[in-house]
Amino acid sequence: MGLGLLASKAMRPTASRLLNFQNPNNLLLRTIVSKPELRKPEPAAAQPEAPLVDLSPRTPVGGARVHFSNPEDAIEVFVDGFPVKIPKGFSVLQACEVAGVDIPRFCYHSRLSIAGNCRMCLVEVEKSPKPVASCAMPALPGMKIKTDTPVAKKAREGVMEFLLMNHPLDCPICDQGGECDLQDQSMAFGSDRGRFTDMKRSVVDKNLGPLVKTVMTRCIQCTRCVRFASEVAGVQDLGMLGRGSGEEIGTYVEKLMTSELSGNVIDICPVGALTSKPFAFKARNWELKGTETIDVTDAVGSNIRIDSRGPEVLRIVPRLNEDINEEWISDKTRFCYDGLKRQRLNDPMIRGPDGRFKPVNWGDALAVVAEAAHQVKPEEIVGISGKLSDAESMIVLKDFLNRMGSNNVWGEGISENTNADLRSGYIMNTSIAGLEKADAFLLVGTQPRVEAAMVNARIRKTVTSNHAKVGYVGPATDFNYDHQHLGTGPQTLVEIAEGRHPFSKIISNAKHPVIIVGAGIFERKDQDAIFAAIETIAKQGNVVRSDWNGLNVLLLHAAQAAALDLGLVPQSEKSLESAKFVYLMGADDTNIDKIPKDAFVVYQGHHGDKSVYRADVILPAAAFSEKEGTYENTEGCTQQTWPAVPTVGDSRDDWKIIRALSEVAGVRLPYDTIGGVRSRLRNVAPNLAQMDEREPAALPSSLRPTFTQKVDPTPFGVAVENFYMTDAITRASKIMAQCSAMLLKK
Amino acid sequence: MAQAIRNAKVPPNSVNLEEARQRVFEFFRSACRSLPTVMEVYNLYDVATISQLRSTIAAEIRKNDHITNPKVIDLLLFKGLEELKNVVNHSKQRHHIVGQYVVGRRGLEQQELAAKEQGISNFLKNFYNSNYS
Ligand code: SF4
Ligand code: FES
Repeated sequence: MGLGLLASKAMRPTASRLLNFQNPNNLLLRTIVSKPELRKPEPAAAQPEAPLVDLSPRTPVGGARVHFSNPEDAIEVFVDGFPVKIPKGFSVLQACEVAGVDIPRFCYHSRLSIAGNCRMCLVEVEKSPKPVASCAMPALPGMKIKTDTPVAKKAREGVMEFLLMNHPLDCPICDQGGECDLQDQSMAFGSDRGRFTDMKRSVVDKNLGPLVKTVMTRCIQCTRCVRFASEVAGVQDLGMLGRGSGEEIGTYVEKLMTSELSGNVIDICPVGALTSKPFAFKARNWELKGTETIDVTDAVGSNIRIDSRGPEVLRIVPRLNEDINEEWISDKTRFCYDGLKRQRLNDPMIRGPDGRFKPVNWGDALAVVAEAAHQVKPEEIVGISGKLSDAESMIVLKDFLNRMGSNNVWGEGISENTNADLRSGYIMNTSIAGLEKADAFLLVGTQPRVEAAMVNARIRKTVTSNHAKVGYVGPATDFNYDHQHLGTGPQTLVEIAEGRHPFSKIISNAKHPVIIVGAGIFERKDQDAIFAAIETIAKQGNVVRSDWNGLNVLLLHAAQAAALDLGLVPQSEKSLESAKFVYLMGADDTNIDKIPKDAFVVYQGHHGDKSVYRADVILPAAAFSEKEGTYENTEGCTQQTWPAVPTVGDSRDDWKIIRALSEVAGVRLPYDTIGGVRSRLRNVAPNLAQMDEREPAALPSSLRPTFTQKVDPTPFGVAVENFYMTDAITRASKIMAQCSAMLLKK
Repeated sequence: MAQAIRNAKVPPNSVNLEEARQRVFEFFRSACRSLPTVMEVYNLYDVATISQLRSTIAAEIRKNDHITNPKVIDLLLFKGLEELKNVVNHSKQRHHIVGQYVVGRRGLEQQELAAKEQGISNFLKNFYNSNYS
């Protein structure tokens, strides 16, 4: 916001005065400063002036809020004569933000360490001989900060001139144009003329892989990307080479950037040096329509904005949500969108006798399905909902199959003895933001880096800030923080539970211990025994108490939490093998070989993915970018997607398809609108009706059989083989295919 | 073939229903034989196939299958022949053909569908229509 305002403030008196050259010196001196009074700025006099300025409370920049953990620590400073109370340890820049003054900046980023190397944030502080870099200067009690004085303005103009000295005049062909900090700030604070006549320097572009496009000549050496890579992403891939005007950002050796968060450098780069490769030259940012929605490629439910033009999704960028993804998103979230354009199903289709699909109209397709469903016994009907299903469609599917007389309906990734009764047994009880308090982690059979990159980023944040200890049980895998690999199989767990392992000490000594169990364990036969062992560890380590619940399950996909809330758990292992009518609602990761040869298979979904090969009828549905759907993330926070683009071809929303089918099949479901479905949802799982709210689970009472069964000694498996391709959308994406070919270490 | 149609003469009246019937078949055959020319002349390859057009013609004829008066049949045949002549002689333009025999035909189908939709709920009607109603 503030920039436009500041720009008008900075420009107002200029224009007219520049035009009439009253002073002949003006012509001779070839001055750069835009205003006569800036030419010889005097530091603002330190008179104890009665503040002439308006002292009514101002709104802080971007709704910044201050939280005083300790009221005694509050200090008072004056920003342009306006007193503000801030906690000790705030920098001058933060104090100005609280006072509602937006300081221009390039290198400062609130989530990264302070570099103080761009000098754009200079402000004048009374009694200091020079302007100070406000981002790096701690605010002291009684400090008088002046942000709008000639000294500060001249300092900014000077910095701007130096920055632009080596910055190419690329704006018309630059993808950052229109959302570029340098562009905005040079409009607001720069001079209107340049003195520079030499050649600009140029820098060789680096190849950072298939996601990030570099035009290194545009780089202003703010080092945000370097700090991001080493502090948040935890890879030491980027660095600064050379000194002075030879300074370059690069990857030291010819190497790609292999972080799962690499796309975020595109957002934090204040200029167009790092831009999105797939988005290059596709659109200008002012042509795009933004839709605030959420991501479904993993169970985190990152908040995103889908930027679209007409019917096409052109890019996905993160949205701030401190509780879930802060302001980062994973590369899969950011770049999966080209999968929304490929392999889409756009017409209802029936497989003819020759094995080829024939497009038909909806009426015929539904009639065929209804007919087939009525020809089998109710017990032989099976419904499976997929990884990307929203809660509405799952409850409608369950209601439909129940009315057909079958109770065989479950969600992918949930097996027969998965506990769906106790909500605390399948969600992340600590909450994602709560992980930051932890001081010891035990990761059981989960590779958070590939299963939920944003959760991993939180763990990393905790490890670096609290020096939390991390113990990991599972197959060898990559971590981007210090960890101890305790073992590969459940025996290690038993050892910890029995106190025979050194890590049990660490857990019981920790103040806020956290255990994270991977949802891959749901597929194991001995999951009860494993959970019993984990609960024993939790009891001994005092992991679950009234003020702290550190026992977590990290789910794998977007639909899983809601599916468990709705009780979509298979009744018996065998029901799929004996099925005669199988309804796959976006279920692509079900083993289709298990479906008997003579079964009638209906596939409802948006992509021609794995299960389509086995389907007899295809019903095209809408993808997450095209519908309104409720999703619950792994920490139990209910969120909603919003349609950004229209549906493809003749496809329909998932819940509508089943509702229509129910009518054709003669078991009409009693809701006609999404509101109706939601009130049904509210009856079954009230937490799914509380949008954008995390509903914590009640404290568990131990109901599991304690340590009775023997654990199976087979080591834990890998739940996500390929980070970049986990579901129908990402598997259809070309960018994700390139990533998996180039970035996955073989 | 097209030449023959261009020069077709109006035949004398049919004496009985049987003769009128035979003439209808004759007419249908000649219409079918002219279809390749029609496809060519109006460049219909990307909107219709010969068999679609053939069934359109058949459907148009069947529309009148309840008529038993040979005189009426003769008159309808005459009108049909006239239409066929106009089509083959390129007296019409592409959009006439497309509108009347290609798209108009779909409209017919939709009418049939509407008849089938009797007694279904509003939801289902909207569902068949589009995702956004
Ligand atoms: S590439 Fe961008 S983020 Fe990195 S140092 Fe240069 S300007 Fe800063
Ligand atoms: S923002 Fe303060 S020096 Fe860059």
